[in-house]
Amino acid sequence: MRAEQQLLRVGEYLVGRASQRLPRDIRAERYREWAAELPVILNDPQIRFGPRRVVRMLGYAADTLRAVARTDVTVRRRSAAMTAMLRSLLLADLAIVGWDIWNIVQAPGEPLNYLRLGWGLLLVAYPIAMLASSAVHAGALIVISGNLLGVAVNLWDAALAPRDWVNYCAAALLLFLVPALWLASRWTRARRA
Amino acid sequence: MTGPLERVLSAFLADPVAPRYGYDLMRAARLPSGTLYPLLARLERQKLVASAWETPQQDGERPRKYYQLTGEGIRTARLELARASSRSRGAPARPGCAAPGSLG
Repeated sequence: MRAEQQLLRVGEYLVGRASQRLPRDIRAERYREWAAELPVILNDPQIRFGPRRVVRMLGYAADTLRAVARTDVTVRRRSAAMTAMLRSLLLADLAIVGWDIWNIVQAPGEPLNYLRLGWGLLLVAYPIAMLASSAVHAGALIVISGNLLGVAVNLWDAALAPRDWVNYCAAALLLFLVPALWLASRWTRARRA
Repeated sequence: MTGPLERVLSAFLADPVAPRYGYDLMRAARLPSGTLYPLLARLERQKLVASAWETPQQDGERPRKYYQLTGEGIRTARLELARASSRSRGAPARPGCAAPGSLG
């Protein structure tokens, strides 16, 4: 009985996650509907083999989550202008990575160049993630990570050339962008909910 | 009309007035939940299917939602299945391609 309750909780967690991705007005009803089917599947008298009932119940919950997640992504269609902008950004980021690799080849012993390459790769990852799946959350995480790495690169530059004020300004600008992007990401998710 | 829709309508028409739960329809139509529920939602929006909550028989039992074809739904489902059947006997239809004005 206890194991059954635990399994039901797993199923409820999955359908709960699925319902959270739905519009607010239908969320509770869908959750009630899907969660009510779980114990029925788990006690289906037509399936004799217990583990098969468990697999079916978890499969039901997981497939519901998969379908909702897929719809969630397809709903967020990008405009043509946004796609063009992301492609341009990807090309520019790839040029930056190319430049970083060139710098590493020129000065393989310089650790700052590797840090710059890491930053460049994160900048490349953002448009790729957005073009591949429109995943706003993943995209925001990549951008925030990229920004933090950019802050580190600029601070390193500042330490090497303390009188160059451009490094401080660039680090401050990137640091300011981190909370701004985080808030923008939260706002986007709240609007979708 | 797509294959999954055809199977759902066939499952409903096996007993058109019987209320059907999501899991029952899954088994009858041999469809995963992720395919079935979006289809049911679409049929409900088109007013071909109506849904309602059952009253639990025992204390602590969760009420389940059941679906039923509406009068219009029964008529449309029979028509669409007949069309699909005549199409399959004639020229092969492109899978997933809906005729204009059909359920899709």
